[in-house]
Amino acid sequence: MIKKLGLTFEKMYKRPFYRVLVFIFGILSLPFVFIKHMKNKQNNDYSKLRGSIYERLEKDGVKDEIYNNAKEQLKNKQSFFKKELSAEEFERQVKDITNKQFNEIIDNELNIVSRQNQVSDVTFCNTFIEMFSNKLFLAASIILSFPMYILILIFSNPYSKYIVERLFMMVFVIFGVTWLVFTIMYLSPMDPATNILGQTATPDQVAQFNSIYGLDQPYHIQLLNTFKNLFSFDLGKSYVGNEDVLSAILRKFPITLQLTFASLLVAILIAIPSGIISAIKQYSSFDYMFMLFALLGLSIPNFWLGLILILNFSIKLKWLPATFVVGNWKTLIMPSIVLGTGLAASVARMTRSSMLEVKNMDYITTARAKGLNEKKVITKHILGNAMIPIVTVIGLQFGGMLGGAAVTEKVFNINGIGSFIVDKQFIPDIPIVLAGVVYVAVIISLANLIVDIMYSFLDPRIKSKMKSY
Amino acid sequence: MVNKQYQKRIEHRKLNSFQEYKTSTLAWGASLLLFLVIFLSSIDIASGEINYLSMAVSAVFLASGIIQYLVTLKVKKEILKYDDIKRSTRIIGYFLIPFAVTGNFFMAIAGFTLIKKEKTIEYTLCIYSILTSFTIMLISALNLFKEYVSNTFMLGMGVLLGITLFYVFTMLMVSKYVNGKHVDKKLIPVAIPLILSIFIGNVFAFILGLIIISKVRHKDEEISIEWIDVLRRLFRNYMSVLGMFVVTLLISLSICSYLTFDYSIAIDNNYSAILLSPSLEYPFGTDNYGRCVFTRIVFGARISLVVGLISTLVPIVIGGILGAVSGYYGKRVDNIIMRLLDVLYAVPGMLLAIAIVAAFGANTMNLILALSIGSIPMYARTVRATVMSIANQEFVEAAKACGAKDFTIIFKHILPNSMAPIIVRATLGIGGAVLSTSSLSYLGLGVEPHIPEWGNILKIGSAYLETSPYLAIFPGLAIILIVLAFNYFGDGLRDALDPKLK
Repeated sequence: MIKKLGLTFEKMYKRPFYRVLVFIFGILSLPFVFIKHMKNKQNNDYSKLRGSIYERLEKDGVKDEIYNNAKEQLKNKQSFFKKELSAEEFERQVKDITNKQFNEIIDNELNIVSRQNQVSDVTFCNTFIEMFSNKLFLAASIILSFPMYILILIFSNPYSKYIVERLFMMVFVIFGVTWLVFTIMYLSPMDPATNILGQTATPDQVAQFNSIYGLDQPYHIQLLNTFKNLFSFDLGKSYVGNEDVLSAILRKFPITLQLTFASLLVAILIAIPSGIISAIKQYSSFDYMFMLFALLGLSIPNFWLGLILILNFSIKLKWLPATFVVGNWKTLIMPSIVLGTGLAASVARMTRSSMLEVKNMDYITTARAKGLNEKKVITKHILGNAMIPIVTVIGLQFGGMLGGAAVTEKVFNINGIGSFIVDKQFIPDIPIVLAGVVYVAVIISLANLIVDIMYSFLDPRIKSKMKSY
Repeated sequence: MVNKQYQKRIEHRKLNSFQEYKTSTLAWGASLLLFLVIFLSSIDIASGEINYLSMAVSAVFLASGIIQYLVTLKVKKEILKYDDIKRSTRIIGYFLIPFAVTGNFFMAIAGFTLIKKEKTIEYTLCIYSILTSFTIMLISALNLFKEYVSNTFMLGMGVLLGITLFYVFTMLMVSKYVNGKHVDKKLIPVAIPLILSIFIGNVFAFILGLIIISKVRHKDEEISIEWIDVLRRLFRNYMSVLGMFVVTLLISLSICSYLTFDYSIAIDNNYSAILLSPSLEYPFGTDNYGRCVFTRIVFGARISLVVGLISTLVPIVIGGILGAVSGYYGKRVDNIIMRLLDVLYAVPGMLLAIAIVAAFGANTMNLILALSIGSIPMYARTVRATVMSIANQEFVEAAKACGAKDFTIIFKHILPNSMAPIIVRATLGIGGAVLSTSSLSYLGLGVEPHIPEWGNILKIGSAYLETSPYLAIFPGLAIILIVLAFNYFGDGLRDALDPKLK
């Protein structure tokens, strides 16, 4: 256990970024280690060993030999390139080369000897590791600087390390997105004050409005405030109706998410089987038909399909209600079909093409040759190995659906986040638009992270790569 | 049993090697499908009313489908029996071509392919050039049913007729002077007006002109020219050629409509003809201001194409440069550029476009800007991936060893060699851009409402869904048609550019 702790610590110490983090998080334990380090330095066996090797080699005349060789080489080089160096410069270069080579030889020797005698160098890192075996210190430092141990714990597992690093990157992306959208809204020639208060508002009213929402402050202060609010999860209040943005979004987001998952389900149920059939029976009429439908699905605008469905099933046949009602699953059918078709189309095409790539591999022939039944070959060997691009497409489309849902939500009058943002666009209600876009960005980044982690469960090659991450 | 299956496979292969059979099968299938669609749409299920006009149109399609089916049977029999098609059967092709007048260009194509035994790529291009200009004439001719036509209508029709006749003349010349790979020098005078066809948007004629000139200039006939080979592979895929045909038709139509269509019918209010159902005068009906939806859709093609093309070109240039730089230099530059683009990538394109358009106001310029910015990361990633794989190849090393500047290496050596995936991405991207444009217009965030754009027309249509659904149906069909055409074309292009097939 302690040995593993030491190993992980050493690995972390080698990376500059993590070294800084360790020092910051473990700052309370550092003094103890520093004292110990100083003590160790005084009776340092390692540097003594190095000194003895240095003396021995110099006595043997190794250094002079290297010096002469280097001199000869440099002379040859000069005559070949016909470039004369000054005597001083020449001497300096020769000395550089000599020192470099001599140090290399010493280090090599030292490496061998120190391993034989089991002497290790006194470095700060080694002292730290040594201290871990001291139970008293360990207990004290876990109490004093537990964040450091949490960090070590995270680092020791490749998965958790990967996830935490990705989440860390995500924070930057989120701030980038916030900056982007904020800047766009800031540069907008539209004035929220006049839009909300009306054209007849007096300059005083406008000024008051601006000062309430901090719109009279310069760009960088507004941006800083936005970032500060983002850190504290306070997204402010909307201009119209003065409602709390966070709670409004938390209210609307589940609806969009529900719609997205429903359409994801519809898409996968349609796309994977049809993709499999068209890949297995390539160039059959099934294949042509499915792929025609898939391409058609990619080409149909969402809102048009929605309108046509409403026209036929709500207006003419009166089977399904045209507008969405929370809790009524019947109203979810048409929107999820509309959103699902586009996704189904791309998933089906990807399933087909990636299965076709795998289909003629040697290991599939082997699987058939050893007498595996066809069903197992298709589901386990072909589909299993073709899964990565399919999962990628689903993950990427997930984000697209969240954004594209805005149009579908407008068609079916769904009170989701998409139509929420679109409605507030015209004012423009900066806090809401900002928060909505950031929320969608967070969800998309999370979806991408999940997809990346899923890779390692689907593909053993990625899994082994991950383990050595 | 096994023998039978084997026999069947041989027959299948034999039939598929004949282009005549393939186009002919598709023609009767498509005709019957069109018949079904038109027939079903002519009957109103709820009220039981029958639209006799579209019923008559569907009958024509039924008849032509049956004729084509009989021709197909005959062709099939001859192929299986003699492994060839008789001269007498080929003559039937001449009778199939006139069906183009009914708008059934599938049959016309089948007819053209049936006539000639040896089909060079030049001949095929001629067919499509003729069909394009002829179809434009047909579409323009629908204006004759209107109360008045534009002042330049007769002039436009005359020009179109002249051009069509010129293409027919070219076809005759081509079938006489092109033998196999050899192209006679006598075709050069024809090639120059063919290249000028680009000004009326006829891409097929333009390509034909280029092919003739480059083939004549190449002395050695045995050496194949690479881009002509790509084209030949592209033209082997019937569906992608149809996609290209539709795209060319729309490009050409949006240019020719300056002459033959009257813009005032598309934008001026006419209160005596509000919300009329489709008729000969107004083929797609009229909207709530009495404007002809058909004319509006024709003019809308121009906006959709322009927005689609520009908002694909801009991100290709910007994203291409960013991707090339980050792929070529790698390490820190790559890290910085890609992390910055990750920010853009995290926001769905649609949402970003909505934010930008809403912030800066809804007009065509802002729409193009918004759509472009959203798709920069996608192109940058594509270019980066290809550049990274090319940057380590020997010819780049050789260029470096010769002392070429980085700028020259990237733009002269690496980028031209990584064009293929970008071209394919772009073709598929135009379709996406057209979809996004119409979606944004539908939300009221796209092109200004008075401009006839397909999304705008649909937006009006969605308000009258209950009473006049055709207002929403036809622009939607137009969008599907153009996006589908781009998608098929892109798919075919990808197969044609795929180095695995070379």
